[in-house]
Amino acid sequence: MTSVGKPLPHDSARGHVTGSALFIDDMPAQVGELHVGFVGSPVACGEIMRIDVEAALKTPGVVACYTAEDVAGHNVFGLIVADDPFLAQEEVMYVGQPVVVVAAENPKALELGRRAVVIECREQTPVLTIEQAIQANRYLGPVRKIARGRVDENLASAPHRIAGTFKSGGQEQFYLESQAALAYPGEQGQIVVHSSTQNTTEIQAVVAEVLGLGQHEVICICKRMGGAFGGKETQAAIPAIMAALVASKTGRAARVIYNKDDDMCVTGKRHEYFTRWDCGFDNAGHLLALRCEYFSNGGATTDLSPSVMERTLLHGDNAYFLPHVEFTGKVCFTNLPPNTAFRGFGGPQGMLVIENVLETIAEKLGLDALQVRRANVYGVGTRNVTPYGQVVDKNHLPEIFETLAADSDYERRREEIAQFNAKSRLQVRGLALTGMKFGISFTTKFLNQGNALVNVYTDGTIQVSTGATEMGQGVNVKIRQLVADEFAIDPRRVLMMATSTEKNNNTSPTAASAGTDLNGAAAVVACQEIKTRLRSFAAEHLADSESGLVASPEHICFAEGTVHDDRRPQVRIPFEQLCEDARRDRVDLGSRGFFATPGIDFNRETGRGTPFFYFTQGAAVAEVVIDRFTGEMRVLRVDLLIDIGKSINPGVDRGQIIGGFVQGMGWVTNECLTYNDKGELLSHSPTTYKIPAVTDIPPEFNVRMFPNHDNTQNIGSSKAVGEPPLMLALSVWAAARNAISYVKPGAEIDLKSPATGEEILRVITALQQDTEPTQLPGIVIPGR
Amino acid sequence: MRDYVLIYINGVRHQIRGQQARLSLSNFIRRELGQIGTKIVCSEGDCGACSVLVGRACEDGIRYQAIDSCIAFLFQLDSTHIVTVEGISKAGQTNGVQQALIDCHGSQCGFCTPGFAMAMTAMQENGCGKVVDELRAGLTGNLCRCTGYVSILEAGLTTEIAEGERMDSMYPPDTMLQDFATHADDNMALVEDNEESASRTYCPATLRSALEVLQDWPQAMIVAGATDIGVRVNKGQTLPETILDLNRVKELEQAELVAGKLVMGARVSWTSVESLSRASIPEFYRVLKVFGAPQIRNMGTVGGNVINASPIADSLPFYFVMDAELELQSSSGSRKVSINDFYQGYKKFDLRQGELLTRVTVPLPKERELLRLFKVSRRLDLDISSFTAAIRMRLDGDTITEAALAFGAVGPTVLRARNTEAYLVGRELTEATMLAAGELAVAEVTPISDVRGSEDYRLQLTRNVFVKFYLEHQPDAVLV
Repeated sequence: MTSVGKPLPHDSARGHVTGSALFIDDMPAQVGELHVGFVGSPVACGEIMRIDVEAALKTPGVVACYTAEDVAGHNVFGLIVADDPFLAQEEVMYVGQPVVVVAAENPKALELGRRAVVIECREQTPVLTIEQAIQANRYLGPVRKIARGRVDENLASAPHRIAGTFKSGGQEQFYLESQAALAYPGEQGQIVVHSSTQNTTEIQAVVAEVLGLGQHEVICICKRMGGAFGGKETQAAIPAIMAALVASKTGRAARVIYNKDDDMCVTGKRHEYFTRWDCGFDNAGHLLALRCEYFSNGGATTDLSPSVMERTLLHGDNAYFLPHVEFTGKVCFTNLPPNTAFRGFGGPQGMLVIENVLETIAEKLGLDALQVRRANVYGVGTRNVTPYGQVVDKNHLPEIFETLAADSDYERRREEIAQFNAKSRLQVRGLALTGMKFGISFTTKFLNQGNALVNVYTDGTIQVSTGATEMGQGVNVKIRQLVADEFAIDPRRVLMMATSTEKNNNTSPTAASAGTDLNGAAAVVACQEIKTRLRSFAAEHLADSESGLVASPEHICFAEGTVHDDRRPQVRIPFEQLCEDARRDRVDLGSRGFFATPGIDFNRETGRGTPFFYFTQGAAVAEVVIDRFTGEMRVLRVDLLIDIGKSINPGVDRGQIIGGFVQGMGWVTNECLTYNDKGELLSHSPTTYKIPAVTDIPPEFNVRMFPNHDNTQNIGSSKAVGEPPLMLALSVWAAARNAISYVKPGAEIDLKSPATGEEILRVITALQQDTEPTQLPGIVIPGR
Repeated sequence: MRDYVLIYINGVRHQIRGQQARLSLSNFIRRELGQIGTKIVCSEGDCGACSVLVGRACEDGIRYQAIDSCIAFLFQLDSTHIVTVEGISKAGQTNGVQQALIDCHGSQCGFCTPGFAMAMTAMQENGCGKVVDELRAGLTGNLCRCTGYVSILEAGLTTEIAEGERMDSMYPPDTMLQDFATHADDNMALVEDNEESASRTYCPATLRSALEVLQDWPQAMIVAGATDIGVRVNKGQTLPETILDLNRVKELEQAELVAGKLVMGARVSWTSVESLSRASIPEFYRVLKVFGAPQIRNMGTVGGNVINASPIADSLPFYFVMDAELELQSSSGSRKVSINDFYQGYKKFDLRQGELLTRVTVPLPKERELLRLFKVSRRLDLDISSFTAAIRMRLDGDTITEAALAFGAVGPTVLRARNTEAYLVGRELTEATMLAAGELAVAEVTPISDVRGSEDYRLQLTRNVFVKFYLEHQPDAVLV
């Protein structure tokens, strides 16, 4: 009766489909509850000259307006560098940056109150783009570097050398539930905050800091999020503080629900990148040396940007061995909202650069790009050390590449596509296989810990609380399965409780794909402690002096909802009876487990170490078709193969794989952030920001999990699945580039990401403009 | 004169008066009724999280369709039965759609899930969505960020809702239908005049009464589907004091194909036009399929798209090249205007005070006429166009005897490229001709750069559609 490995439904599936699962906006209103919102900076960069809330306060129904001056504790916080103001004071650094918090009796009064607030700024010229920041030498944090070998020498001596630049755009998380928080005063000066956050501990800490309270006076609870994708790792803080500040000042419950437009305008996103690259390679396409200089658009404050850049450097190699390599990274300081975590956390940006380099090499040599990738993929036992010195252990990449190429019929389709492209004047098709190797663990060592509270009740049911937050990824059901199996009981007897700092302290954000790894492992530790106690108790209970069986805990087995001594398996005690009896015998039926990932460390200064517990690996093949006249692209078929070890819940994991892939596909195709020259986001709602819709999903989509038998280090022999599949979608971008290469074989292709229809048409048009103009009958076109 | 909106929600009868009738359906459901299963995300009809079923009387009972509740005002919904996610299954149970979503892992974070359950239940009600293409088409109005949709499609394809879960079984229609019939013919006025504000919402039952209201209140805002004004109100615009709502006017909801013409009342929904054009005007149908989403097409109207006067309105290029005719009525009479003469500038058009657009008549392509409509948008579905065009040609052998070219999103209004048309007439339809026409057309358009595309992109598309048109009509055209 094991449940691990079975596709149990999501923990809240029933609540989701019936609409009864409560999100923060759905929680019943408390008596006297206030509606809270904010007024943000009208400019991207400037000095605050005047804040006038008088008219707002006179608006009927408006209860209070607060500015930075009303903050009792610290107004500035931040995980890596404390440079993130809660409310802007003196200077504003991006459009919409919160300046004034408004609390009102009802939504209408709040809206009128917000409109009545006056913020006057002396506007300064903002720095918005990476290019402007480089020019102005504005960076956040130090330059990071990972290097190995003799790069200059090998670039110079390589048979071929190409250099170029590459741009990838940012991406909005587009969680469906916008940032939200509900706070109310507790007893003895406490504040209770319900937050849609990936990090309850962080919310607890910043609320305490801003309100000038002890951490023991703040409770943060998160039952679930309506999606997060990294966007609620740090950036749930400001709305949570707003609600907490109002609750603390007024003594009334206070709720903040951002609307979608505000949310998109003022919160950070995936970092846009600009990269200068230079590579040397031989006739077979082996990369002999690679230098990449990455620049990210960090926005106005540090947030997680240095860590994101660190992961870029750690994934610049992606799935490929680089004998001589130098990666450097700088975070640009600009007047945009602070960019932040987003599924992949800098990894995708680094990996897209090298996939672009490999496509370029293939075009230059006239080889199929798969051949070039095969020449460079990490080896087994050889060519398997990363630029930072970690060995790619238990590497299955070559096998994954070959299996996928065969299963997806790559060679035959390549032929077909070449024939089609030679014939079709209307469309052009492309095909690409890209690899993926993603390191699992927080690269900040101390975050690799988790704790869990397991409470067993006398009817044999169990409540589990961990620091993991449920954002849709199914961490709860997976932990539930692990716990149920520890006691060999039906998983329906285990419930996952809301994440709360009251039960789990000093937790790490649910991020870095490690939610189940860390919290599941901690829950299992707690279960094992309880089992040890129950074993001793059961041993006494099941001992039989007549038949000479002495009490022996090591012979006690938990199986099929019962407990027995394996020397006398016919006598079985139902688990619930054992629990009841144990309590009466004063056995502790609760435990708190702790887990810290062993054997990992990374030295940021030297760029060397073993930052990752293991790697999740995979590859994908994408086929696209492009309209030569409009640039519109459709994804026709995707085949992917991913190694996630032994899946704890294949139903949930398959959802993560497909969902991650599609999100990545959005990043490299149609998701386009457009700002004007004042730093205002123009694409701030789904009308103008286009995430993939149901008809964008390839009609043929083959998803397979690689049967891995040697992955034993992680919980349940599983591997993390949250972020890695997103990067399989780089195959879609590479396929677009491959299609364009048929338009004018051998020509240089300058395709950016995202490959929108407009971007594709721009590149195709540029390629065609080099050809001779046709004689046109009957007209004279000026300028021709 | 009736002074309340009659509306049933999950079988419960409500009468809504005065200002309250100007609430959006979603706000009423969530805030007034406390039914929080319906979620709000974008407040602009672009994500479908707020989808509910709207049931309207039809010949054989009540017909249910999915709509976005965030951009529907209560006053538009007189004599309807609204079913929310709380109402599609019996308390404590799940219907077939919901169970399939659970079994197939169709929910992850769960925020979009009620909307999907509603869109899928609507399809089940109408006996569609059994094949994957139909199912996809029915779900284009719902965004999901977690699942990548595959599990949702799998759920949709395995769904069977039991007889007892059909709306007519759960909510026997007779009482409601009788109630609706009793109230069908009375005029409705929702008036509130107090210190704080004045508001008058007129919902007449006949065209004649509607024209009278317009005569009395010439500045009234005319509302039909509200798919645009609903968005603008959610984003901060206030409704004017006086509104004339056309949703109860039966004369405006007829659409038919007669004598080679498509004749549409101004308040006909896009869903009706879609089914009407499916077999008879496949080219128009191709555009309608990607016009908004089912939830939008169930509310949005033919007249709304004309009067909204947007240069990116998806229906207009077709009307322009077919020389469609608009019928405008006022209390003092009616007149007819060609669509090609109607628009005078950005959001400016030839509509006089007291006049109402009542009918759109579109002549259909004849034999030996080629018609092609283009809609280029960043995303295939549920996206506002970056560029639109229509090309109609009449041929005698290979010679072009008539040409009509219309472009959208390249100027303040949809426009005809008259010089290029003149160039084409009398020439052979060849690639060289079309290449030249593209260059000429570029000189006739004045696009700007905005969030949906740059000026260069729009110019290039203008240039390119000509050869694309030519190649697509070649017998040996190779397409995926």
